[in-house]
This record gives sequence, structure tokens and C-alpha cells, in this order.
Amino acid sequence: MLRFVIRRLIHSVLTVLGVMLLTFLLFRVVAGDVSTDYVNPRLGQAGRDVWKHKHGLDRPWYVQFRDHLVTSVTFQGESYQTKEKLTTIIRKRAGYSLALTVPALVLGWISAMVISCFVAYYRDTWIDRIGVFLSVLGMCMPFLAYMIIGQWLMFKISPVAAWGLRYRANIYLPIGIGVIAGLGASVRFYRTIILDQVNQDYVRTARAKGAPLTTILFKHVIRNCMLPILTNLVMAIPFLIMGSLILENFFGIPGLGGLLIDSITRRDVPIITGLTYLTSLIYVISLLITDLLYGVFDPRIRLN
Amino acid sequence: MTTAATNDIAIETRAGRSLWSDAVRKLRRDPVAVACFILICLYAAIAIGSPWVLSDWSQSFNYDNLNQAPSGEYILGTDTFGRSVFQKTLLAASTSMTVAFTATIIAVPLGMLLGAIAGYYGGWVDDFIVWLFTTLASIPGIIRLIAIKFAFEGKILFEGTSFELNLGGMAGLCIALGVMNWVGTCRLVRAETMKIRQLDYCLAARSIGTGRFITLLRHVLPNVAHIGIINFSLGFHGAISAEVILSYLGLGVKDAPSWGRMIASAKMDMVVGRWWELTAAVGATFIIILAWNIFGDRLRDALDPKLRNS
Repeated sequence: MLRFVIRRLIHSVLTVLGVMLLTFLLFRVVAGDVSTDYVNPRLGQAGRDVWKHKHGLDRPWYVQFRDHLVTSVTFQGESYQTKEKLTTIIRKRAGYSLALTVPALVLGWISAMVISCFVAYYRDTWIDRIGVFLSVLGMCMPFLAYMIIGQWLMFKISPVAAWGLRYRANIYLPIGIGVIAGLGASVRFYRTIILDQVNQDYVRTARAKGAPLTTILFKHVIRNCMLPILTNLVMAIPFLIMGSLILENFFGIPGLGGLLIDSITRRDVPIITGLTYLTSLIYVISLLITDLLYGVFDPRIRLN
Repeated sequence: MTTAATNDIAIETRAGRSLWSDAVRKLRRDPVAVACFILICLYAAIAIGSPWVLSDWSQSFNYDNLNQAPSGEYILGTDTFGRSVFQKTLLAASTSMTVAFTATIIAVPLGMLLGAIAGYYGGWVDDFIVWLFTTLASIPGIIRLIAIKFAFEGKILFEGTSFELNLGGMAGLCIALGVMNWVGTCRLVRAETMKIRQLDYCLAARSIGTGRFITLLRHVLPNVAHIGIINFSLGFHGAISAEVILSYLGLGVKDAPSWGRMIASAKMDMVVGRWWELTAAVGATFIIILAWNIFGDRLRDALDPKLRNS
């Protein structure tokens, strides 16, 4: 077990280092010089040189790379635009993102589980067929369409609730859209997983001994489906803090996802670097934790 | 002995039908799959034909017909410059299909090659490729695409030569989607190659002196080709959605009509009752993604039922 933990830890550290290398290559080397976006063009080359010197962009590449590693690990990035520290920005904005994503994830997960159990329970009947048909339609609908139609409907009902966060209740609309837009894909995914289990021997045994169908479904089957379902949930964790980029951007919610998109248009490299790094760090950590938990609960994975 | 062995194989594969002809038969008997395939072909024909037929669309301003509702003359109405929305939708199909096709044609062979090399050679090569794709995959979904598009902004490769590539435009979008989307294919192909490497026919090929690279090309790659085909169809609609979202955010194509740009420009129009441009773009996206989705699923079932859950 110890060997397994150590090996997984080394892998995670290497992945995080890889992400730092990748962000350096993409945002410093490929993206190149962004000084023209921040320095008054009338100051010319001299002004740009001063700006570059101030942000340490005129030093040799290996010094810059070392700086990049240090700022990434310590989250000391500082916005070119507002001079704000990354940590301050995260503290200020993460709450809005969490207020949007946590309810959306929980509600989305519960409703997808309930619907997919229901659909799987009535498998091969018209209820199942309609359910699958609707979920395929739902997942093929572009995400943007949900947003625009949702906002338009809300505008008809109450125009002030259709944009921004002037009132606390305005968050319900983006949450609802997040839940509904994700429902199709989740229902379809969970249904396949549940149906894989339904045909197993232990289900037949449980039925033979006379257990009621609801007990079988919610007690035996769900437990065995937990592995893929948990993996699916872990994949959503990085987006909890980042928030839904497009929803935040569209509804004017001042969270981190909207900030990332704004930083792209403003070419605010430290913010983009920091947020990208933060997301992958959370992703790697949550993946590590799930893997370790699997290793604890399922010896087959540990031995591989 | 050889004849007996051939006979056995012939009986097992039901009168010598290959995996491919079997899959084609299955798909042809399935009316839904055929319908989806026809839709995809229709989109492809529009994609190839529309830039030729409608080459003067972008200049066809008509200031007497701004924002017209759908009528007999303009089936889907006109946009803010008085140009036909129907023609715009067709041209956008060309953009989307070109981007998705080029991106997938970069991503799938790249993923197959790297996956086969990693799975076949093992050792440090495997470690390196696995590290490469874990790193890429640990920047989740859309952030990965936005990041690379940001880096590409305003970059022009081979400037001044005839191979000029504007990375800020459509070429950059294709490359960004291509080099970011090979991870899934690579993972599957790597796992399958590790299985195939240990099979008897690979050992037989090696034992008569076939080189490792030749064995990989001749005996391993053809046996993972179906994964490539399946991932091509699955990757295609992913690339279309990605193009729509990136163009919507202003990070995609800038010089051609695109469904994402149509949605972006029409997002405030719903409030004033101009629904046609949005409906056209959303409908066109919806139909092609639906067709690819269903066709991809049927193709996967026909070629490899085992892959269903991965």
C-alpha cells in the first residue's frame, strides 16, 4: 500500500511540474510580448522596456522560468491590469463561483441519479425510450442555446432577474440552466452504468430471495455503480472553484470563470497563468485522492 | 494443417466476413444510422459547395432589408447588414465542418501513433507519453482550449512564404483543437496495443525476424484502426461544439461566418423579438451534433461493443 501511495504521489508531482512547464511555454514563450497592450504607444520602445524590466520580462529565460515556478507554487501572481494579488482576487471572487457551481452540481447530480434510476427501472418500456430520446436531444442542444432561451424566458417574467447579481435571487436562473443543460448527458451516462449492473448475477439472487425492486435498485445496484459515478463527480471538482466560464461571462456573475475570460481579452498573463495552474492543481489533487480511496476500498487497483 | 487452421478461422468469423464488412452490414440495416449518415453527407456537401456558390455573400449588403423577418424572399430573414441569414448559416456550416474535420484529422492519427508507440515500446517512452497526456488532460476541458487559443493570438507562422499560417484565425483553431484532443484516442489505443503486443501473431512476426517498428506498423496498427474510426466520429462533434463555443467567446474564427459568432451577435436580439438568426444557428448546430452523436454510437456498437462504457 505504501509503495502505491508513493508512486501515485510522485506521478502527481510530475504532472504538476508538467503543467507549470506547459503554462510557461504557452503564456510566456508562444504568446510572447504583451507589453504593447499595457504601455502607451507614444512611449515607444523605451516605455515598453521599462515596463518589461518592472515585470522581470527582460531577464534570461531560465531566471524567468524559475520566477514562474516560484510564483505558481506560492500564488504570488499579480495582475498587470489592476496590480491586484492573485490570492486577493481568488478570495474575493471564489465565493460567487461556489454559489453558482455547488448548488448546480448537487442538484444536477441528485436529479440525474433519480431520473436515471427511474428510467433504468422501466428499461425496455416506452418510459425508458422516451427518457433516452429526451436525454440525447438534451445533450445535443448547444449549451449557449439553454442560456439564451433561459434568459429570454426570465426577461419575460421579470426583467431585473435576467442579468447580473443585483438581487441575491438572480443566482437561481444560472443554477437552473446549469442543472438542466447537464441533465441529458448525465442521465444517459448513469443509465448505461446502472443497466450494466442490473444484468449481473447478484441482482438475480436478490430478486430470487424476494427483495423488493426498489431495495435492489437503491441498495445493491447503486453501491456497485459508485466507482464510475464518483470518478465522474471528481472531474467536476476543478470547475467548482473556477465556476462555469460561459455562464458567469453571460450572466455577469463576478466569479473566477468570468474573470478568466476577461483576462484573455485583456491579455493579463499572470492571472491566466495563475487560474490555469490553480484549476489543474485542484484536478490533480482530487484525482490523487480518488485514486488513493480506490486503493483503500478496492485491492484490485492497488495491486496493478 | 494450414488449411485446417484457415477453415477454423473461416467458421469462427461467419463465412469470412471481416470486422469492417460486418460493421457496414450492421449499419446499413439500421435506418436511424443511415438517416444520420445521409445528414452528415448533406452537411459535408454544403460545406464543400457553399463557399463556391455563395462567394459574394459577405459583400451582399442590402440596407433596405435590415433585420427582416423570414419571408418568401428570405427564408430565414436577414441580419443587421441585410444579408440572407439562410446563406450565412450554410457558409457557417462550411466553417464548422472544415475546422472539425481538420482538427480531428490531426488529433486522431496523432493519438493513435503516440498510443501505439507508448503501448508497444513500453519503458521510458511509455512513461514519457503517459506523462505528456496526463499533463495535458489535467488542464480541464475548455480552459485548455482557451489557453492555447490565447497563446496563438496574432501569431503567424512562416510569414512571407507560401505556407503562411495565421494562428490567430481558422488555421490556429484547427491546430489548437487538433493538438489538444488526441488524449482520449491515445489512452484507448495504448491500452489496446499493450494487449495486442502479447498476442501470438505479434510474437510470430517477431520470431521470424520482423523488426519492431515494422511489426508495429503492419500487425499492431491495423488492429487498433477501429478505435481510430470510432474516435474520429466521437471527436468530430466535440470539435464542432468547441468551435461554436470558442467563436462565441471571440476566440475562434474571426473572418468567416460561424454558428458561434451568429449566436454571439444574436444573443441580445431575442429580447427585441428577432429570433431567426439565433434559431438558424442553434438549429444547424443541433442537427449536425445529433446526427454525429447517434451515428458515432451506432458505429461504436458495430465496430467494438466492448468500448461502450469507456
